[in-house]
Amino acid sequence: MLNIKKLTICLVIMLSFITTNVFASGQEEATMMEEDSKTITVAAGAVGTEFELAQDAAAAYMEMHPDVTVEILQTPDLTTDRLGLYLQFFESQSSEVDLYQIDVIWPGDIAEHLIDLNEYGAKEYTDAHFPSIIQNNTVDNRFVAMPWFTDAGLLYYRTDLLEKYGYNEPPTTWDELEMMAEKVMQGERAAGNQDFWGFVFQGNSYEGLTCDALEWVYSYDGGSIVEPDGTISINNPNAIEALEKAAGWVGTIAPDGVTGFAEEDARNMFQAGNALFMRNWPYAYSLGNSEGSAVKDKFGVSPLPSGKNNIRAASLGGWQLACSKYSKNPELAADVLFFFTSYEQQKKRAIEASYNPTIIDLYEDSEVLEATPFFGTLKDVFTSSVARPSTVTAPQYAQVSKVFYENVHDVLTNESTAERAVKNIELDISDIIE
Amino acid sequence: MNKKNKKTIGKVLFWILVIYLFFFLVFPFYWTINTSLKTENQLLMTPATFVPVDNITDQVSISINNYKAVFLNNTFVNGLKNSLIVAGSVTILCLVIGSFAAFALGKLNFKGKTFSLYLILSMTMFPQISVLTGLYAVINKLHISATPAMIFSYFLFTLPFTIWVMTSFFKGLPKSLMQAANVDGATPLQSFYLILLPLTVPALVTTGLLSFIAAWNEYLFALTFTSIESQARTVPVAMALFTGSIAKQEPFGEIMAAAVVVTIPLLILVYVFQRRLIEGLTAGAVKG
Amino acid sequence: MKNTHHALKKSEQKLAFLLLLPSFIVLFTIAFYPLGSVFTKSFTNERFASSKKTEFVGLENYQKLLSLKIMELDPIGMDEQGSIIYEDPIDILPRKPNRYKEVSQFSIFNKHFVFSATDPDFIQSIGDTLLFTILSVSLETIFGMIIALIMVKNFPGRGGMRVAMLVPWAIPTAVSSKMWEWMFSSTRVGVVNVVSQWFGITNGQFPWLTNADTQIWAMIAIDVWKTTPFMALLIMAGLQTIPKGIYEAAKIDGCNGWQNFWKMTLPMVKDTITVALVFRTLDALRVFDLFQIVFAQKRYSMASYSYYQLIDNKLMGYSSATSVIIFFIILLFIIIYTKMSGGVNNE
Repeated sequence: MLNIKKLTICLVIMLSFITTNVFASGQEEATMMEEDSKTITVAAGAVGTEFELAQDAAAAYMEMHPDVTVEILQTPDLTTDRLGLYLQFFESQSSEVDLYQIDVIWPGDIAEHLIDLNEYGAKEYTDAHFPSIIQNNTVDNRFVAMPWFTDAGLLYYRTDLLEKYGYNEPPTTWDELEMMAEKVMQGERAAGNQDFWGFVFQGNSYEGLTCDALEWVYSYDGGSIVEPDGTISINNPNAIEALEKAAGWVGTIAPDGVTGFAEEDARNMFQAGNALFMRNWPYAYSLGNSEGSAVKDKFGVSPLPSGKNNIRAASLGGWQLACSKYSKNPELAADVLFFFTSYEQQKKRAIEASYNPTIIDLYEDSEVLEATPFFGTLKDVFTSSVARPSTVTAPQYAQVSKVFYENVHDVLTNESTAERAVKNIELDISDIIE
Repeated sequence: MNKKNKKTIGKVLFWILVIYLFFFLVFPFYWTINTSLKTENQLLMTPATFVPVDNITDQVSISINNYKAVFLNNTFVNGLKNSLIVAGSVTILCLVIGSFAAFALGKLNFKGKTFSLYLILSMTMFPQISVLTGLYAVINKLHISATPAMIFSYFLFTLPFTIWVMTSFFKGLPKSLMQAANVDGATPLQSFYLILLPLTVPALVTTGLLSFIAAWNEYLFALTFTSIESQARTVPVAMALFTGSIAKQEPFGEIMAAAVVVTIPLLILVYVFQRRLIEGLTAGAVKG
Repeated sequence: MKNTHHALKKSEQKLAFLLLLPSFIVLFTIAFYPLGSVFTKSFTNERFASSKKTEFVGLENYQKLLSLKIMELDPIGMDEQGSIIYEDPIDILPRKPNRYKEVSQFSIFNKHFVFSATDPDFIQSIGDTLLFTILSVSLETIFGMIIALIMVKNFPGRGGMRVAMLVPWAIPTAVSSKMWEWMFSSTRVGVVNVVSQWFGITNGQFPWLTNADTQIWAMIAIDVWKTTPFMALLIMAGLQTIPKGIYEAAKIDGCNGWQNFWKMTLPMVKDTITVALVFRTLDALRVFDLFQIVFAQKRYSMASYSYYQLIDNKLMGYSSATSVIIFFIILLFIIIYTKMSGGVNNE
């Protein structure tokens, strides 16, 4: 009898502990919110240096404005997880977060939850940035996100191997790339490296493939899937040619497993010294030159090769900073936003961590070029970058992209012909954005 | 002679099976430890090595950088504490509430038994994601903080499981036990607490361990509920936030080191409780 | 006597009610609103995190998810090798009001057919999940049983083996998925390729996770590795309740090990196995983490498809409809199990 009583008492205590905790913290939150009416919360990346830099920027702002607190909230690096989190916030119209770091393909999808920065004085700053990004971030004539740092697809190549096999320059056309890759691959394999391949890229069935395939198609003058005016242009002979070309690489100059490669898989191969060419984002540059890397100081970057008419394409990546419509202090938040994305801050990021700025003049700033000389190559790449059709197909970009990369993946794995694939893509996209 | 041979062959086969199983179960964990002791460049080597080897000098070279990074990571260390609180509370509460219910369902006579069992089960018949959004909305409206939110939502998948397993155990206990106790003047609750419950200890330990581990490893709900409260983050969320020095880089070695650090306490927990997993009924209790 | 019997029954009923009350309170408070809203939302076109007005659309979501059609493909000629070329399904499948897309092609009696659906990804995910479930659960039960039988014998090192047994279950799914992904890597960075090259099965460059044939098996291998301990543990606990006396009696009667197993052991753990099977199947049908991490958008399980519709496409109504369909599929399995094990309430 005693024991049952003891047990019940224990249970009641535990339950009451939990319930009071529940209500107590509810109360705490309420009082906190009243006091901190001047706190701006920024949802940003959790990545090592990225986080530190964001905190530095916050500290700098707080020094200039002592009555304001800027907090950085860490969010998962995995893009889908981050988007899922943001959507939960928007769905509950939460005012917990004021500024959001958003991917270049999200403005169209979430524009309705963001303020129009032009109403808060953005026009002052926008001219300094790359116009393609500004255009990407303008949805229905509302400018909803300020570019923060950018990314574009690059061709990485092994300088030592090209030299060894008698080439002076990296390839400028895809045909040249194929030729060089075949020759070097044969040679290296004969010399004993059975893990060596010619070209690695992102061939998995995911958003990354949309980036790579867009580059192929665009460089063959095949358009950008859906043009900025809304026409679905993918079903054309040039696009078909581009896709067939890419499918021909799988198993010949690119490993069979390339159809399962994401960015890190490609980088792993290249960095281990097992690939001649790689298509990847700029982040791989400093990693490739890290201590212990097998390719340290043995590689360079150039714009991706062209297919037809000298068109060299690079898919636009990168992150922007946007302000939530549900923020309690939009004016203050916008001010913080402009500070974070300003010339000085972007310069600091470029020098300290090789983040590609979105402000054009920074690519000719001597201090920046001293820290990261290869930025010089990048300016042209960014100026002529091609954006994925996320804004024009919003809010269904995710579906459109999926249709595209799934069908392209089928072509790469030989499950479909390029002709059939583009036909499918055209029909499906027109269903989605009707 | 024949019988002896048969026995020896049987024994040999038995041991081969045991060793094979051991290898099968443990090899990936060994590989995790192997990976956690490599630097990134060692990881990229082809062919992959079974012991960390320096990629330039080809000599065995073990690096503890990954472990250093893990322990310096405040979110992770904090996460260990949070996970312990959440998983521990869920398990204990679940066992208490669940065994009460299981006793009723397994031993008492009343209407609506089957209906109750299936109603309880139906909670786990939905995929996590469908429950998540609604749950998050409720939690926000009621301003419930992250830790209680996680504890309560984990009930959703641990409680039905506990109830069902314990019910089948209670059912398996002979009726004679309760009847004997009844004759001796005990109320149903007393016979529950003093006689039946102790006999189900293997089941309690089993479901306890399984629930604890399930709650410890849950990711999706934890991620959403602790999104604003970073100090309440549990281990899986902390691990998802693990990144290298540059965006898109996946610090595989560090993640593996974190995995080792996270798994070892769980294994210790298992070791402590494993004797109780194998506790048979003594002949006396059954026959008497 | 009758009165006390009645009184006893009533008090038992009351006691049972009190004992069950906490469980029901907990479960209802957590589950009522979220699950209820799943059902109601499935009949709307609600979008997640959007101000677009939500409208009632009746069964439209379900129609889009479940419309199937089989059509015959006519031959239109021959290719160089002399085999027949058939029409391209894309030319003949109906497009209004919803476009039917190909799921697979098959032939019966020299006739060629195409199996199509308005949402081929969902249909495919159902097929994949069912295949995954049936294979994983079967393998896990068999292996689990073997392990459990071994573990109840007394041998040196048993304690260590018990700890080893739980290793796969103890590692977080997110981590073990990544680990196996790494081990299955398509180059020789992955240990599976290194080992398979030793044994001459592959040349060390095999893409385990992208080859359509080996994909599902890789997933099953990962899941079997991870969850066999779960089954083993439950079966072990069940084996412990068997009184040791009956084995001695059987020995006297001259039964051998195999007969022992089928005629005595198995029936006595039937209940435990059923519970283990039910929950394992439930979990397998709802598999999410594994598919999401290893395959993402390449190949869906029913739950990861639901997630994709909610988060990537923000189609909350549509995603809720998928959840409801998943619920009914799971319900079907439960009913089958109950019928097979002869009911839950047998005394």
